[in-house]
Amino acid sequence: MSMPFYVSPEQLTKDRAEFAQKGIARGRSMVATTYDKGVLLVAENPSASLNKISEIYDRIAFAGVGKYNEFDRLREAGIRWADGTGYTYSREDVDARALANYYAQYLGSMFAEGPKPLEIEILIAQLGNELRPTKLYHLAYEGTITDEERFAVLGGDADTIKQRFVDADQGTSDLAGALHHAVSALSGPDRVIPATDLEVAILEDRGARRTFTRVSDADVAELLTH
Amino acid sequence: MGLPLFSVGEDPGPSFLQYLEAQGVTRSLPMGVDSPHATTVVAVRAADGVVLVGDRQATGAYIASRDVRKIEAADRFTAIAISGSAAMGMEFIRMAQLSFEHYEKMTDAVLSLEGKANYLSPLIQRNNLTTPFLVLPLLAGYDVNRRRGRVFEYDGAGGCYERSDFVTIGSGTPFAESALRLGFRDDMTIDETIELAALAVYEAGDNDPATGGPDFVRNIFPMIVTVTNAGFEELSHDETAERFRAIHERRTASGGRPGGALR
Repeated sequence: MSMPFYVSPEQLTKDRAEFAQKGIARGRSMVATTYDKGVLLVAENPSASLNKISEIYDRIAFAGVGKYNEFDRLREAGIRWADGTGYTYSREDVDARALANYYAQYLGSMFAEGPKPLEIEILIAQLGNELRPTKLYHLAYEGTITDEERFAVLGGDADTIKQRFVDADQGTSDLAGALHHAVSALSGPDRVIPATDLEVAILEDRGARRTFTRVSDADVAELLTH
Repeated sequence: MGLPLFSVGEDPGPSFLQYLEAQGVTRSLPMGVDSPHATTVVAVRAADGVVLVGDRQATGAYIASRDVRKIEAADRFTAIAISGSAAMGMEFIRMAQLSFEHYEKMTDAVLSLEGKANYLSPLIQRNNLTTPFLVLPLLAGYDVNRRRGRVFEYDGAGGCYERSDFVTIGSGTPFAESALRLGFRDDMTIDETIELAALAVYEAGDNDPATGGPDFVRNIFPMIVTVTNAGFEELSHDETAERFRAIHERRTASGGRPGGALR
């Protein structure tokens, strides 16, 4: 009987982290930021039909980077969880924090025990009201969860983009200003991302129960010319 | 409830109902409970949309409630109304609303109006064949793909039928339907359709003891809804009151005789 080679937990974790990071770095990044009336989510996404950003519930949005099939499965689970919870209890009991924790547990267990770690990062954005604050929950591939108030960056280039975002940050602005800022952080000084390669959505209160809206390519182009 | 993840073979897809069943969260009531019933709603097709009018009374052995809302928006362009068991009906509306929204979020596409109508069939079938709390809904809306109003009715076993003119549900049906049969014309304006549909429910309230007509004492009136390319809109309380007051005054002037009411 052959004995498996001994691999130290440090080495195993390092290998798995490297694997996940490589996978995530293959895809493009995304930025989420608050603006004066809500939350803006911007992803670089050349596909018009395979979405990275999606509605989860009345005041909750989802965004994923990395392997599409892996985060899309979690997106579906999030919608089911939210609709199921709202149906069983009440719509106001659906809390992004609870969902983010479930995601964190799942990502953590897949990282430690799964056949391979998931090559994804996830963002759960919640538009605040009198019950809950506006929050951006950032979930890393290994299940680390951080909650941001102002902005979050997901993807392989996150550190560079984050730095660009911080350097040019002038505080909370209107939608056009926030979009400008987010897109220039995403693209960097040396290239221009066409509006058709941007997937943009917002969470904003406009009197309706549901606050999630996709911003069309035409509207994105219009906002960026301001 | 943890994160609901499914294996590829067991995935319930975008159907909220199938998801609930996979989770075992469907609800049922004990047999043999006497529960109040929701009564009369009409949905009438107009030239560029549909009009729904429904009374506000839930009736058991006695009047159980005078201000029930039996017509609700299932989504922006779809109205759903219920008759039969009030408890099941309310649950039914909730399930329809959630299901359509769930589908939309899961697939990033809106169900067609016909798709929504068909989705309700098995729901009705299961409820009506397994519980004594019969519920009979109707679905009416503006079909954004075909740019016209459409109305759908169901039979007790869940069969779904589109009608070209109007649908009535509830105990006041014979009276409401008679008024609609005499008054319906193709291509009526929304305003004319409201007038006819309101009269139909007034007739039902006048003749059917379980249906509530306009209640001038409590200032409660049947609700009036239009669904057009502008979406689901409910007429304000004042507008509704005015419509029913006008019918009531005409009827008072004629000494209670309905003759000529449609002219």
